[in-house]
Amino acid sequence: MAGVANTWGYGAMTNSMNDIRHSKCIFMLGSNAAEAHPVAMQHILYAKEVNNAPLIVVDPRFTKLAAKATDYVRIRPGTDTAFVMGLVNEIVTNGWHDKDFIQKRVAGFPEMCEKASHYTPEVVEDITGIPASEVKRIARILATHRPGTVIWCMGATQHSIGSSNTRALCILQLVLGNMGVSGGGTNIFRGHDNVQGATDMCVLSHSLPAYYGIKDGSWKHWCRVWDVDYEWMKSRFHSKEYMNKKGFTLARWYQGVIQEDKINQYTPIKAVVFWGCASNSQSQYHKLKKALDLLDLVVIIDPFPTMTAAACAKDNVYLLPSSSQYETEGSVTSSSRQIQWRFKVVDPVHDSKDDYWIMNEMVKRFGFHDKFYKNIKKIPDDITRELCKGSLTIGYNGALPERIKKHTLNWETFDVDTLKARGGPCDGEYYGLPWPCWTETHPGTPILYDISKPVAKGGLPFRARFGTEHTYWNGRKENLLAAEGVYNPGSEVKGGYPEFKNIVPGTNWKTDLSQKTIKEAIKRGMAPFGNARARCVCWNFPDQVPVHREPLHSPRPDLVAKYPTYPDKKDQYRVYTRFKSEQRPELVKKFPYVLITGRMVEHMGGGAETRSNKYLAELKPHMYAEINVRLANNLGIRNGDMIWIESPEQGRIKVMAKVTDRVDEKTIFLPFHFGGMFMGKSLEANYPKGTEPYAIGEPANIVTNYGYDIITQIQGTKEGLCQVSKA
Amino acid sequence: MAFKRAVNEKRSKAKVTRKFTLNPKVARRSFLKIAAASAAFAGLSLGPKVVRRLEADEKKAPYPGSKIVRTVCTHCAVGCGIKAEVQNGVWVRQEVASDHPVSRGGHCCKGAGAIDMVTSEKRLKSPMKRVNGKWQKISWGEALDEVCKRLLEIREKHGPDAVHWNGSAKVSNEMAYLQRKLAAFWGTNNIDHQARI
Repeated sequence: MAGVANTWGYGAMTNSMNDIRHSKCIFMLGSNAAEAHPVAMQHILYAKEVNNAPLIVVDPRFTKLAAKATDYVRIRPGTDTAFVMGLVNEIVTNGWHDKDFIQKRVAGFPEMCEKASHYTPEVVEDITGIPASEVKRIARILATHRPGTVIWCMGATQHSIGSSNTRALCILQLVLGNMGVSGGGTNIFRGHDNVQGATDMCVLSHSLPAYYGIKDGSWKHWCRVWDVDYEWMKSRFHSKEYMNKKGFTLARWYQGVIQEDKINQYTPIKAVVFWGCASNSQSQYHKLKKALDLLDLVVIIDPFPTMTAAACAKDNVYLLPSSSQYETEGSVTSSSRQIQWRFKVVDPVHDSKDDYWIMNEMVKRFGFHDKFYKNIKKIPDDITRELCKGSLTIGYNGALPERIKKHTLNWETFDVDTLKARGGPCDGEYYGLPWPCWTETHPGTPILYDISKPVAKGGLPFRARFGTEHTYWNGRKENLLAAEGVYNPGSEVKGGYPEFKNIVPGTNWKTDLSQKTIKEAIKRGMAPFGNARARCVCWNFPDQVPVHREPLHSPRPDLVAKYPTYPDKKDQYRVYTRFKSEQRPELVKKFPYVLITGRMVEHMGGGAETRSNKYLAELKPHMYAEINVRLANNLGIRNGDMIWIESPEQGRIKVMAKVTDRVDEKTIFLPFHFGGMFMGKSLEANYPKGTEPYAIGEPANIVTNYGYDIITQIQGTKEGLCQVSKA
Repeated sequence: MAFKRAVNEKRSKAKVTRKFTLNPKVARRSFLKIAAASAAFAGLSLGPKVVRRLEADEKKAPYPGSKIVRTVCTHCAVGCGIKAEVQNGVWVRQEVASDHPVSRGGHCCKGAGAIDMVTSEKRLKSPMKRVNGKWQKISWGEALDEVCKRLLEIREKHGPDAVHWNGSAKVSNEMAYLQRKLAAFWGTNNIDHQARI
C-alpha cells in the first residue's frame, strides 16, 4: 500500500468490486480471486462475459482464477516488476500511451520511460520466463481495451521488491490513462474482512490512526482528539525518541525476543499479546515458536485457542475467549472502502466476552481508564464518533454511526452498477459512504481521482502530497500540480492547486478539528488535499522508478550480479534486516525449487476459525503441497505420498503431495491456512481439551524463507527456495 | 418445533425438491438448514441418517417468533451481506442476502458457514492458563488481574517497549482504533497487525 499511496495520495483500492462490471479489460496479477474473493467473481465475470473483456491472469501457478482467464501468463515468482515495466515500455514504444492524460495529470513520465526502456520484450523474457511475443501481445490487449482495471493481492506484495511491484502496476494504469474512470483503477483486493478498516485505523507500528504518522504533529493531533495532554502522553514513553520511532512489525517482532538479527531497542521483548491474530501466518514460524518459549508472558485473546496456544511449550500463556464478531457490533470497511455496520446477531456465547468489554477491563487495570474513555460513554457509537473526528486525512469524518447503520439497513436501495441509492432514505449516496466522505452530507467517493464529478458529489483529483515542484536526477524541473484545465466541475481554480491550510490559522485540512477547512474547500468546489499530478518517480524510495531486483533467494544466480538486491538495512522497524548479505547465489544448488504460498477457498488466514468448522474441515481436511507431474516422477513421488519440504533456514514440514500441472517443474505451492502440526509432530495434545480443530496440518510458514520488503517489511513468502524429498 | 420439522419428520409426504448434502456447492440452501439444525442441537452428529428430503414450504417458513438481523460476513474483504435468523436469542439459520448490492446473494463456502463461528463446539469456552503443562480453567477476574499485573510488572521493570501488541484485521473499526489507542496510552509503537503481511 505504501507504493500506491506514494504514487497518488491514498493506499487503497481506487474503484470498487461493482465498478469492475464496467471494465473493458481485467488484468490480474498475484491474485486468485476465485478462491480468495469468490463473491467478487460475479462482477469480474460479468465484465468478461457482457463486455467481452479479456481476463488476463498473471501468476506462477495455474489457479482456479486462471481457469476462468481468457489469457493466462505464467511468470517466474518475484519478477513482476520486470514484466509490468516491460508492458509499460512496449506501450510507450508503440505510442499507445494516453498522451493527454499524462501531459496533464502525471509527473516524472520521461524519467520513468528512461528506466522502463531497459525492459525490452527480450529482456523481460530472460528475467520472467514469459515469451517476448506474449509480452507484446498482452501489451496490445491492454492498449486496445480501455478502460481496463488492474487487480492484485499478496502475490504482488509479498516480495523484497513488493513496493516496487505495486508502483509498477500503478504506472501501468497511469500510462494507459485508466485512472479516475469507471472501469479502470487499481483494485487491490484486500484479505481479511476488515483489513482495510484496521489499516485505516493504523494498527501499525509506523502510524497513528488515519495515516497521521508518529511525528510530533501527529501525536499532538491525536492528543487533541483524545483530549489528553501531549506532555502526559510523552511521559508514557521510554523517551521522546521512542515516541517517534517506528515499532516492531508483525513480520519480525519475534526478533525482538530471539535477537538473531541485532535489535535497535533498549530492551528485548518480554511479553506478546495476540488479539485476534494468528501466529502461523508469519514466515519462518519455527523461529517465532522459539520466541514464544523465551517470553515471560503470552496472551491470546481470540474466539479459538489458535495454533499459538498449542505452539507454546511453557507455562507462560493465558487464553482469553473473546466472542466472535457476530456477538458484538461495529463498523467494518470493505476492500471497496465501503463502511458497513456489522449488527450483533446474538449475545456472546459460552463464557466469552466481546472485545470492547475486555478492552475496558484491561484499561481499568492499567490505570488510565478516565483518560482513555474521556469522550466515550456509549459503546461502540461514541468510539465511531471519536475516530471520525480525528480521521480527517481519509475523510472518515462524514461517516457517522447513524449514517453507516442507515446504509446497511437499506442496502436493497442501492444500484448494483453504480452503488448509488435510487430513492429511499439514502437517495443519491453511494453504498457504505466509500471514504473519503468529507462531510455529514457528502455521498462518499465511489471512484478515487475522478475529475468528472464535483468534489461534493464524490469526485476528486490526485492528491497534492509531495510538494509543488521537483528537480529530477537529470536536472529537469517539473511543476507537480495538475495542468491548467484539470479540475472537478464547479472548482473555483481551473487547474492544479496545493492543499488547503490556514483557513483556521495554524492548521491545515488534516488538523483543523472544527472541519471548517474541509467545508470551505468543498464549498469552493475543490479537494481539501489539493489537485496534483500522480508520480511515476518516488524520490523518497530507494528505487525512484521501479526496477527489477532478484529475490534474496534466487533460482537464477546468473541474474543476481546484474539485478542485485538492496544493501542491508541496519534499523528497519527496530531490527537489522539483511538484504545484500542474505542474497546467496549458491543457495539454489541445495534448495533448487521455488516456494510459493497462497489461499484456498475453504479456509481463511491461519485457519483457526475455518478448521474449527466441521463442514469446511470436511471439504479440505489435509495440508498438501502442489508439485509438478514431471518433477514428482523424477523424484519418485506419487500423488498422496508424504514428502518433506525443507527451507534454507532449517524449517521442515511433512505434507501430502498433490501432483499437478498447476505449478511448473521448478515451483512448489503450499496453502498457508494449516496449523496444529510442527515439523512432523502433532501438537493436538497441546490444545485445551475439546478445542482441537477438526483439521490440523503443518503451517506452510515453517518453510517460508527469510526476506522482507525494503519499505514495508512485508514478508517475502512468494519467492523463497526449498528442497523436496520423499518422506 | 423447527428442528423436528426440518430433520425428524418422516419422509412419507415429502414433495421432493432437493436433497440434504454436505457439499454447499451443490445445495447451498440445504447446507444452511443443516447448519441451523446443528445450531439448535449442538453435539448432534451429522451422519447419513440426518439426510432426508425437505419440503419446499418447510424451507421457506420462518422459525416462530424469529427476527432477521442484517450483518456482514467475517471472512474476506468483499463484505458480503448475511441475513441471520434469530429465535429466542439463538442464531438458528442464516440466509443469503440476495438484495445486498455487492454480494447479491452470493456466498462462498466460508460465508455459507458463517453461523458456525457462533455454534462451533471448538470455541474456547472460558479463560484458561497453563499450569505445569496442563490447561486450567480460571475466572475472568483472575485472568484479567493476573495478565494485567504481569504486563504492568514487565512495563515497570523493562519499559513500555518490552510488550509487543499484535492487533487484528478481524475486529471492527472501533476495536481496531482502540487497539492502536491502547498501544499509544501504554507508551509504545510496538503494535502491528495482519495488513503488514
